[in-house]
Amino acid sequence: MKKMKLLFTVLLIVMTSAINAQTYKTRDAQIFFNPNKDQSHKDYAAESKEGTAVLKVETNDVALLVPMKTFHFNNALLEEHFNENYLHTDKFPNATFKGKLIGFSKDQLTKDGVYTLSSEGQVTLHGVTKNFKAPVKLEVKGKTATFNCSFKIKAEEYSIDIPAIVKPKLSDETPIEANIKFQLN
Amino acid sequence: MKKLLLFLFVACSFFIRARAQDDLLGDLVKDDAAKVKQNFTIATFKSTRIINLESIEMTGKGNLEFMISHRFGSIWKEGKGWTNVSQLFGLNAGAANTYMSFDYSFTDYLNLGFAATGNAKYETWAKIRLLRQQTGLKNIPVSLTWFSLTNFDGSDGPSPNDFAWNRFSFLHQILIARKISDKFSLQLTPSFIHYNIVPYGYNNTNNIFSLAIGGRYKLTNKTAISFEYARQLNGYKDLLDESASAVNYVPDLFSLGYDWDTGGHIFQFFFTSSSSATNIGQLSANTNDIRLGNFSLGFNLNRSYGIKRVVKSH
Repeated sequence: MKKMKLLFTVLLIVMTSAINAQTYKTRDAQIFFNPNKDQSHKDYAAESKEGTAVLKVETNDVALLVPMKTFHFNNALLEEHFNENYLHTDKFPNATFKGKLIGFSKDQLTKDGVYTLSSEGQVTLHGVTKNFKAPVKLEVKGKTATFNCSFKIKAEEYSIDIPAIVKPKLSDETPIEANIKFQLN
Repeated sequence: MKKLLLFLFVACSFFIRARAQDDLLGDLVKDDAAKVKQNFTIATFKSTRIINLESIEMTGKGNLEFMISHRFGSIWKEGKGWTNVSQLFGLNAGAANTYMSFDYSFTDYLNLGFAATGNAKYETWAKIRLLRQQTGLKNIPVSLTWFSLTNFDGSDGPSPNDFAWNRFSFLHQILIARKISDKFSLQLTPSFIHYNIVPYGYNNTNNIFSLAIGGRYKLTNKTAISFEYARQLNGYKDLLDESASAVNYVPDLFSLGYDWDTGGHIFQFFFTSSSSATNIGQLSANTNDIRLGNFSLGFNLNRSYGIKRVVKSH
């Protein structure tokens, strides 16, 4: 009977550690995009600070979800257009990414420094899923690990229609910056 | 006993494996779906005006909206024949009422505005959001907005020596709107108008009530058809004006419009049976009878500017 108890305890420990130990989660991932041709302008730029992200250390799996309605613009009218006319956020409420970090190992999280990685996977936006690959910068400092990823997307690849009257003001490719900070412990 | 233990062990290891292979994104999606959110209905109308009358829409927080609006002369005046054509159906008649306004929203629920409405009249108003149509956390089927406006008549007028207080009139409205589908929205607008002074007359009254219904139907993402009908409920028949001559106002106000959203501006082109540029004039002293063909072309043009930075510079 004692043996059994011990076995159960061991099992319990193994189970909980397997579930919890190596997964990091955040609820305030920041996504910023600025489609202006002239990047010093912020007219059409928007930012969300409410993305959720999860990182599984031993498999290098990452996932990111951004509720589209959490993107806010300077001009409320543009925000309405963004939701109603361009991204149809009632129909497609989330933008997601799932994939892997390449060049990442869990030792990096234990030592302060800046590491250059890349990520590969699939982005789903406006109901369209595309393969995705971009460089990622990881900065570890004490108990925080910040992943920075800058990349560009083309609106038409995600079947987002931009009206002809606005098009001249926008660049063909929209630069996007993701800033995802995990608390390590 | 040993068999049982073995079984448990195998079962548990399966469980662990299953967890390990779980789809991370799936978890996030589930988390997000489990969160009870407040889904506010947006874009019930394209603009802060349906046509003549206020809509429940407010310019966004920290946004300044500038609007310029014109109402031209009657499209066709009876007995004027070809003059109507040479006046380009009212567009070139030399009788246009111009309305210019600024709207600023300090918060999501409070909007203040100021307008010059032509004929030396000025208006200032407050628009307060009481309820927003929403689903999710709370279920509210309609949006409710309170609108109060003060009009000051700065004209020479028939009684230039009037006390300033006598030059004021007020409009109070409750705007009740529902976005019925993606395309179709309706709004009911009961109004109460108070004139501080009216000419002496048996039927003249300081307090006028009116009921309006307005709506829009989206044709595409950028265009919509809008309509308005307002009915004045009292104080329009057998009145006396300042010079003590009899006057009848037309209690019906019809408008039909076309909204065009260019991405930065919103244009509203419309036909309306009033040449007045202010809501008080349209709802309580309308002289244009649509049955006699007295309606005119007009447009609203508005543009909003983000004054307060929401997106910090990167």
